[in-house]
Amino acid sequence: MSCPTEIVQLMHKHLDHEIEPDEEKRLREHLQGCEECHKHFYELEKAIALVQSTSHVEAPKDFTLAIMDKLPNEKRTVSWNR
Amino acid sequence: METIVKNRIKQIRKGDQDAFAEIVDLYKDKIYQLCYRMLGNAHEAEDIAQEAFIRAYVNIHTYDMNKKFSTWLYRIATNLSIDRIRKKKPDYYLDAEVAGTDGLTMYSQVAAEMSLPEEQLETMELQETIQKEILKLPDKYRTVIVLKYIDELSLIEISEILNIPVGTVKTRTHRGREALRKQLRHL
Repeated sequence: MSCPTEIVQLMHKHLDHEIEPDEEKRLREHLQGCEECHKHFYELEKAIALVQSTSHVEAPKDFTLAIMDKLPNEKRTVSWNR
Repeated sequence: METIVKNRIKQIRKGDQDAFAEIVDLYKDKIYQLCYRMLGNAHEAEDIAQEAFIRAYVNIHTYDMNKKFSTWLYRIATNLSIDRIRKKKPDYYLDAEVAGTDGLTMYSQVAAEMSLPEEQLETMELQETIQKEILKLPDKYRTVIVLKYIDELSLIEISEILNIPVGTVKTRTHRGREALRKQLRHL
């Protein structure tokens, strides 16, 4: 691949929402003309979307209760201060 | 929300355990999720998430009230998760990676017991695959990816949680994304 490494850096700046308008324009123009970079960009976005799709885990039932059972009874000051 | 949290912390410092229960309820899903995605195992995630809350309670007087409480709590949970990853025996990793092939994973067991509809089964299989790929990331990349994309924290918050410069968080995020791109592109 003969594309400048700058293009991949711009992709990451875009993904971090830190890209400047002129850089965004350069990236868009390059992606329109370069199939390989377009694919790279698509794969990055897809990877993020897939990772985000897993974000629906909840703590087990009675999680809070289990913790409350394990807390030291009184607030001890010095001995717990590791 | 931070104001409510800080009032509760003042109560906890006076010895009010009920106030702590409210704090746990408020953050349990986020902290459990972080541990689960870092460790890939429900039992260990529960163990570490509980430990994180207990440590927060025991050390509540070391929390700096001028800072965001969630950042402090995330730091405890992240450090405990990383410690646990590093303490794991190497053969555990092998188990985790081949688990899907012999059908002994949590998802497939649940699926077998409940005989879920096809569509739901496929979603679970996909989620399981993604989880495995996240677990293949080296822990320093895994941490930033999980904090950013699963717990949805900003780069600045992540830098505060991990106590590393924002520039380092960015580099790790970029490398983590590139690794995931290669691992997930065939899905």
